[in-house]
Amino acid sequence: MDSHPSYGRGPRPLTAGRLSLPWLGPMEPGWVAPVLLVAVGYYLAARLGFAFTLQPHPISTLWPPNALLLAALLLAPTRIWWLLLAAALPAHLLAELQSGVPTAMVLAWYASNCSEALIGAALVRSLVPGPLRLHSFRNAGIFLLCCVLAAPLLSSFLDAALVKLIGWGHGDYLELVRMRVFSNALAELTVAPLILTWAALGMTGLRKAPRLRYLEAGLLFAGLLAASLLVFDLALFDANTAPALFYAPVPFLLWAAVRLGPAGTASALALMVVATIWGAVHGLGPFTGGTPQDTARDMQLFLIAVSVPMLLLAVALEERTRSVRVAREQRLQLTHLSRVAMLGQLSGGIAHELNQPLTAILSNAQAAQRFLANRDVDLEELGEILRDIIAADQRAGEVIRRLRALFKRGETQYQPLDANELVGEVLGIVHGDLVMRGVEVVLESAAALPPVEGDRVELQQVMLNLVVNACEAMAGAAPGGRQLTIRTRADEDGVQISFADQGPGFQAEQYHEMFQPFYTTKAQGLGLGLSISRSIVLAHGGRLWGSATPGQGASFHIFLPAQRAG
Amino acid sequence: MPYVAIVDDEEPVRKALRRLLRASGLQAEGYAGGREFLEAAALRLPDCVLLDLHMSGMSGLQVLRKLQESAQLTPVVIITAHDEPETRAQCLAAGAAAYLRKPLDERLLLNAISAALGAAAQTRR
Repeated sequence: MDSHPSYGRGPRPLTAGRLSLPWLGPMEPGWVAPVLLVAVGYYLAARLGFAFTLQPHPISTLWPPNALLLAALLLAPTRIWWLLLAAALPAHLLAELQSGVPTAMVLAWYASNCSEALIGAALVRSLVPGPLRLHSFRNAGIFLLCCVLAAPLLSSFLDAALVKLIGWGHGDYLELVRMRVFSNALAELTVAPLILTWAALGMTGLRKAPRLRYLEAGLLFAGLLAASLLVFDLALFDANTAPALFYAPVPFLLWAAVRLGPAGTASALALMVVATIWGAVHGLGPFTGGTPQDTARDMQLFLIAVSVPMLLLAVALEERTRSVRVAREQRLQLTHLSRVAMLGQLSGGIAHELNQPLTAILSNAQAAQRFLANRDVDLEELGEILRDIIAADQRAGEVIRRLRALFKRGETQYQPLDANELVGEVLGIVHGDLVMRGVEVVLESAAALPPVEGDRVELQQVMLNLVVNACEAMAGAAPGGRQLTIRTRADEDGVQISFADQGPGFQAEQYHEMFQPFYTTKAQGLGLGLSISRSIVLAHGGRLWGSATPGQGASFHIFLPAQRAG
Repeated sequence: MPYVAIVDDEEPVRKALRRLLRASGLQAEGYAGGREFLEAAALRLPDCVLLDLHMSGMSGLQVLRKLQESAQLTPVVIITAHDEPETRAQCLAAGAAAYLRKPLDERLLLNAISAALGAAAQTRR
């Protein structure tokens, strides 16, 4: 029984990945790099494939050139596929002719190698347009079905038929097919994800990783290498050894799947595959002892059985992490949108807050000019005027600084905060609005509250929302009957801040609805205020609730846990 | 020297306006709220009132109406940091002599006071 299923052609498109491989027009210079990579990569992969054959009868356990070619096609635009397939031919001839295989067989293998890459790539491309990224469970499933199952299976019938036709191999046709399928499927499973995931990650993605992640990856790969060498490459264990030892690398693979994403997992799997085959090729490890065919089959089945779930797990976790990240980003956007909408409602009050210091500045300056023009200068008074101008300017600056913080869209930043200080800041922002609406604020602040941990802007947003709601609830009340009482007090393990208005209150059946998104009783407003406020407070580990007696006003309360010591 | 009362709940604004009016040859006194002003006005009626519209406690419009109710014919110049067309109409309907937006243009302010003082003098004659 012969031999190396030497297939394919092609350079390795590591840097010809999704980012750098351009969807070019005909014969553009950007094709040169992918073509060269495929040619060189194919040749090296073929040499590696030869090294992974079991002797004395050369049985290939893993044939990487086809997988490399398939990965290149998956990353490349369809219109340059022919160029990549052509680039593999010289590499194929160079590698195969050195091994003493008849020219007819060499060319036949080139055809079957290309067919495998084309079948896999065409099936995938028909389902996923553009370069394939293993970033979703769906894409990973399509890859496994088309490239690991269908392409090796279909092309192996052609390959085995050509072998029989040319008379280079002997033995049962179906056995030839089986050997080709296992060898090629394992190669697709090991090599293609490695190329696809690293092409997607790129150098930029690698550089973005924190330093500690490099250290972690180093530890992981060292551990995996040690476990793989121990089980598969030392003369300590053979086929009679308890199969439990096979699982020694599994914790490291799980570690990679959970922490390093698809690229890290594909790399870890490749390391284990190489270590296992290297051991078997050198007559070491638990798979040796039987015929070369048995050794190859058992090892391939074991490696396929381990690789498929690990790869799927890594992709599923990656997809989940991305979903969480997207949801978080959307929550931040919505929170910001709601905040900006609320600031829009407060614009009249904000204009009032800015116009007051501007009035003081202008009238003071004009008074000083008149004193000077009248030659009625009292230097002491002039100094006082300048001091007042500076103070008014600083006040206007403070209004703008607070507004900028609220308008800005940024990441949540937790820090120790004083609830009384927060209330004071919120009243500063909303002061103009309170004055314009004729709302009187009664502040009952408890002294010495424990600090709470939170995001200043987000908690200000919650309080602003409650103050604005209270003001609007009291809009219909007679002047003098618009009192908002704000109380702060230490409560159990945290701080409670209450906002009590003198509006009409609410009915019990309204209570749950008012915390739902897009519920509003106002002519203007998104109806997101209370819903977002509650989600902000919940994210701070606190609670937001309301209480009311119809006709006697409503109260809303925020509880925030105290910052934990240490 | 004509006596102008400044009613504004913002102390820095009150102080600045008092200086400006004093530098313009007017006697000026500041009041932090409507109630305080009405009490003082009962004792000495100013020749003109600069009245802020949005104040905590009693609003400028309430003060204006009180003045009208008591038939005190002091001219009132409304000053506001937040201008809305309907409040302007309300104030003028309630008898305000002028309606000015903050920050206050010096010439507009002094012209308004001067016009108000002149009109009041005409009425008294």
